[in-house]
Amino acid sequence: MRLVYAIVFVVGFAAIIADHLGSPSSGRAVSPEDFAGACAPCGAPCPSAKK
Amino acid sequence: MTLAASAISTPTASLRPDWPFVAAPVVATALLCALVLIDGQPRSAALVIAGFALGVAFLKAEFSFTAAWRRFLVTGEAGGLLAALLLIGVAALVIVPVAALGLGFGGAIAPLGPSLVVGAFVFGIGMQLGNGCGSGTLYTAGGGSGRMLVTLLFFIVGSVVGSLHLPFFLALGGIDPILASDYLGPWGGLAVTLVSLAAAALVIAMVARRRGANFTPSRTLVVGAIVIGALAVAAFLAGGHPWSVTFGFTVWGGKIATLLGFDLSGAEFWQWPGPKRALAESVLTDTSSLTDFGMIFGAMAAAAAAHPYARAKWPALGSLLAAAVGGLLMGWGARIGFGCNIGAFLGGVASGSLHGWVWFLAALAGCTIGIRLRPLFGLAKV
Repeated sequence: MRLVYAIVFVVGFAAIIADHLGSPSSGRAVSPEDFAGACAPCGAPCPSAKK
Repeated sequence: MTLAASAISTPTASLRPDWPFVAAPVVATALLCALVLIDGQPRSAALVIAGFALGVAFLKAEFSFTAAWRRFLVTGEAGGLLAALLLIGVAALVIVPVAALGLGFGGAIAPLGPSLVVGAFVFGIGMQLGNGCGSGTLYTAGGGSGRMLVTLLFFIVGSVVGSLHLPFFLALGGIDPILASDYLGPWGGLAVTLVSLAAAALVIAMVARRRGANFTPSRTLVVGAIVIGALAVAAFLAGGHPWSVTFGFTVWGGKIATLLGFDLSGAEFWQWPGPKRALAESVLTDTSSLTDFGMIFGAMAAAAAAHPYARAKWPALGSLLAAAVGGLLMGWGARIGFGCNIGAFLGGVASGSLHGWVWFLAALAGCTIGIRLRPLFGLAKV
C-alpha cells in the first residue's frame, strides 16, 4: 500500500502542476456560485430562471 | 474508531514519524502556495493552508459524519451527531451575518426540489458503503487508507456522471432557495439558524435518551468541532463562499475525462459559466480544489507524523467493492443533490438556507438503506 501511495502522490501532484502550467489562469480563485444566475455551489441556475 | 480510521492506524507499529511522508505533503503544500502567490493570489494560498489545517484537525479528532450518523441510527448514540451540529453552529456565527451583509461574500444556497431530495438520499446510501462522506473520504484517503483511495477514485467518476444527469433532475421542477436572512435580516437569520440547530440537537438528544444511549460528545469531538468550525469560517473568509468539497472532484473528473478524449463541451452542465470556466482554467483557480488538495496533504502529514504511513494491509475484496459502489453513489448524489455533508449540510445550514436541513433529512434516510446494505459487502452494521 505504501508503494501505491508513493506512486499516487507523485502522479497526482505532477498532474496538478502540469494542469496549472498548461491552463490559463485569469485571476483569483472562484466558486461557480460567483457567476451571475448561479443558484447552487455547482453553478446550477435557479428554477425561476428557467420558467 | 471508524473502519476507515482503523485502516489508517497501525497500533502495533512504532510511533516514530515517517519523515518522507511527512516532508512530501508539507513541501507539496508549500509549492502550491508558491504557485498561487506567483499569480498574486494570497487568498488562494490561504485556502490551501486552511485545507491543510482541516486535514490535520479531522484526522486528529477522528471527526466522522458517516460513523456518527450510523451510530445514531443503529444504537441511538448521538454524541458525534451533536458534535456536528456544534460545528455548524460555530460556522454559522460568522457565515450567516457576513453573507447577508454582502461585503463580497455569499452563502451556500440551492433550489428545493426532487433533485435535492433524490441526490441527498442516494448520497446517504453511498456514504455508508463508501465509509466516509466528502470530507471523510479526503482525510482518510490522505491519512493512508488504501480503501478510501478506491472510494475517492469512484467518487470522482460518479460526480462526472452526475454532472451529465443534473439538468434532467432540475427540469423536474423545484423552487428557488429559501434563505432565513432574506426574510429576517442578518441577525434574525442567525437567530433562526441557531434556534433550528438547538431544536435539532434537542430532538436528537431525546431520541438517544429514549433508546438508552449516550448523547454526550467526547471532549476530543467537542474540541474538534470547534476547531473545524473555526477553520470552516477561515475557508469562507478566504474563498468568499462556504467551504465546499465535491465540486473539486467534478472538476478533476471532467479534466481527466477530457484528457481521455471525452467531449464534455456539449453537456449542459459544462456550459454553465462556473463549470465551464473551471474546466478550462487551472485547477488552482477553483476554490474547492484548493482546500481539497490542502486537506489531503494535511491528513497525510499528520498521519505520517504519528506512525509509519500506509502500512495496513489492503482490505477484503467485498470491502473494496463497497468502497467503489459507495464512491459512485456519493459522487452522483453529491452532484444531483448540490453537495455533500460539507457543501450542502454544513454550508447550507450555516448559511441559514433551508436546503441544508432538507439535505440532512434525505441523506439520513438514505443512510438507513446504506446501513442495511453493508453486511452484503462484509461490513459491520455499526
